Amino acid sequence: MTDENKPIIEIRNFDFAYGDAQALFDINMDIREKEVTSFIGPSGCGKSTFLRCFNRMNDLIDIANIKGGEIKISDINIYDKEVDVIELRKHVGMVFQKSNPFPKSIYDNIAYGLRIQGIKQKSVLDGVVEECLRGAALWDEVKDRLNESALGMSGGQQQRLCIARALAVKPKILLMDEPCSALDPIATAKVEELIHQLKKQYTIIIVTHSMQQAARVSDKTAFFYLGKLIEFGKTDDIFMNPTDPQTEAYISGRFG
Amino acid sequence: MSEKPATNIFSKKPSRQALFETCVSTFFRLATYLVIIAAGYLFVNIAYNGSKAVFTTKAPFINIDFLTQKPQTLHVYEPKEVTTEQQKINAEILSTKAKRNALGSGEKAQRAEYEAHIESLEERYDILDEQRVEGRLMFSDSEYRQLDETPSEELFKYSNYAYSGGGIGPAIIGTCLLVTGSIAIALTLGVLCAVYLSEYSQAGKMLQLIRLSIMNLSGVPSIVFGLFGFGMFVLFFGWGVSMIAGWFTLAIMALPIIITASEESMRAIPKGFREGSLALGASKWTSIRTNVLPYALPGILTSSIMGIARVAGETAPIMFTAAFALRDQLPWEGLKEPTDFFFQGVMALPYHIYVVSAKIPQNEYTRNMQYGAAFVFLFIVGFFALSSIILRVKIRKKYKW
Amino acid sequence: MNRYFHHELHDLRSMLILIAEKANEAGRLAVEGFLSSDLEKTQHAVKLDDEIDALEIAIDRASVRYITLRSPVSSDVRLIFVAIKASHDLERAGDEAHSIAKRTRNILTRDGSVQNKVEIEAMSKLAFGMMKDAINCFLEEDLDLAESIIEQDKEVDRLNKENFKNLSMALRDGGIDPATQIETILISKSIERIADHAKNLAEEVIYLLTGE
Repeated sequence: MTDENKPIIEIRNFDFAYGDAQALFDINMDIREKEVTSFIGPSGCGKSTFLRCFNRMNDLIDIANIKGGEIKISDINIYDKEVDVIELRKHVGMVFQKSNPFPKSIYDNIAYGLRIQGIKQKSVLDGVVEECLRGAALWDEVKDRLNESALGMSGGQQQRLCIARALAVKPKILLMDEPCSALDPIATAKVEELIHQLKKQYTIIIVTHSMQQAARVSDKTAFFYLGKLIEFGKTDDIFMNPTDPQTEAYISGRFG
Repeated sequence: MSEKPATNIFSKKPSRQALFETCVSTFFRLATYLVIIAAGYLFVNIAYNGSKAVFTTKAPFINIDFLTQKPQTLHVYEPKEVTTEQQKINAEILSTKAKRNALGSGEKAQRAEYEAHIESLEERYDILDEQRVEGRLMFSDSEYRQLDETPSEELFKYSNYAYSGGGIGPAIIGTCLLVTGSIAIALTLGVLCAVYLSEYSQAGKMLQLIRLSIMNLSGVPSIVFGLFGFGMFVLFFGWGVSMIAGWFTLAIMALPIIITASEESMRAIPKGFREGSLALGASKWTSIRTNVLPYALPGILTSSIMGIARVAGETAPIMFTAAFALRDQLPWEGLKEPTDFFFQGVMALPYHIYVVSAKIPQNEYTRNMQYGAAFVFLFIVGFFALSSIILRVKIRKKYKW
Repeated sequence: MNRYFHHELHDLRSMLILIAEKANEAGRLAVEGFLSSDLEKTQHAVKLDDEIDALEIAIDRASVRYITLRSPVSSDVRLIFVAIKASHDLERAGDEAHSIAKRTRNILTRDGSVQNKVEIEAMSKLAFGMMKDAINCFLEEDLDLAESIIEQDKEVDRLNKENFKNLSMALRDGGIDPATQIETILISKSIERIADHAKNLAEEVIYLLTGE
């Protein structure tokens, strides 16, 4: 599985800073398609910053800038001047740590991404809404209340709704920034099962504080510390037999 | 052998601290009640006095004439014999009072006699007053002109009072127009500015400067606004004393409130909404338009209420820029071209109240007009505020978050 | 809720049953080879022992992987623990079967056929019966069966002591090659050890089911 897939994201010598404070140092890695890659590391190590570089959400912060290197998605450097950020964000979707369903109906939440592209026909929207809700394992739970407010759902359902919403614009890559940190164990289990299903079609990158989650869910794991990539490899190898002593210290809880 | 009951460690112990707490909370409560009483007294006083002019005993219970007619001079004919006798009694009361005051401290009997005399005189005066009120004739200008012959000079004493007859119709219309126009301009400009400040601007010295300027604008006295409007819109732009000059002057007055409140309500929208829609491939303006502005609308409308409150009640800005003390034609009468509608001055309630209270003497005939105008004015401002609140409630239901 | 990685536990259980059955089969074949003087069966037993060794390594790897990646608790972690210990016991049982096969081969090469079978047959019936019961009580989660296995081990010990007495007396009397007699004593010991391993298995099943 892992060595056959070709890389869809290539990161070469990537340096990133907030103003003068450098946050990422010389990152080099390949992320292969239709795999789940997880980023682990202590707080402030730069993993969330790095994740947000893939869909250029860091552009929203004025002082953020690239000091060197490149990120190529499907062979295109995404920080090139020719690249339209809006198109990039349709290609690379994101699910946030705190689930943020829009205060609209469940239907409108999912149809939002399509409506802003100008797609208005009800038949098309209906189809996409059903497909995405099924894909997120929510259809049976909400099919009778599509027009009710999304805010009336439980936390786990809301997060799955956000995943379904991200899927509606048909991205190739899905970024997840600690998607389960606010959820109870059962909701977390449902989201992890969903990720396991989704990886057949999408490339998924997940930032997580829980090493158990990274071990359960991902095929490849990257360990970050103080903005540097310490180790990157198959999850089995990282957790059973890491090569770097810092990795060993972190995963065995002897860090700090 | 009885045992001492175990002391409850959580029981309340009387202490100075607790007493102090009670005093403080009572003090806050009293202060609030004081404010409420003062406001209540104000409203009740105006309502009571104003309702004499606005409401009638016959159906439809509202004095329509008062609300729709132009202000006219009130011609009053009082029965002459009654008024002459009242004058005599008044003179006698005054002289008796003077004699009484001239008495020394010891002459109690004399004093009592004078007091009794004054009292009986005053009683007689009151009876005569009632006769006068019954027998008098009052005509507004239009009625006066329709009379075939005026009541005779021998039987009636004539006096007239400007503005006290007729109604305040044009003033009501003028105020409504001024408020609507200026709030429309202020809301448009204010929301655009608020969107820029909260969404597009970058933190820095420039932004601090802008904010400081807006804050200072809200502290400028209204008369200065009036002069500014006069110099800029009336003279420099050459619009003359006109509704449009009034609109812009009042709009600038309302701007600081609207900008600050709208910006606050936009900042209150969680960042997650913006991030969520941007992550789905929305452009910045699309994300603001679909995911931020609708939910900030209730706050923006609240700011409009505050703006209306500031704008509708000001006399100074419109004194030089838009208001006429008396205008014969209603705003839509006598227009040569459609655009003339904007370039004409109007009557306005606050200015009218000023004129009626300051320029003409206060007596029973003018008091009706004054209080009536004040009452209607309060009502109109309240109406604008209420409709804004209703609109806000409706929108909040639709865009709940 | 069945998570997508729970099948790894099922796979582990299957591997455990497989190694147990192979160990039982190896032991049975080795003893049958002794009892019927059949070299082929003994060779078969040796081959099975190699497979058992490989399976034990696989079970160890799978267990460590499951603990590292899935953080099991409660009955899951007891299963992993039992898997590691039981596979070790069964690998030792396989080694004993290998040893029986080797000694049988030695005897046959020396003497041509087995002369004195003493109580080997009775012992082997009991021992391999215990082993089969151990596998069953793991599958069926039968606590009573586990207790009975522990009881049966005493009988096997007794039979082993008798074999030792008889064979050491026969040494004195002469007749059969002393080396063969000693090999036979050691074969009896091996079967007794296999029964011990079966008893261990029963104890591990009790731990798995009750946590004690």
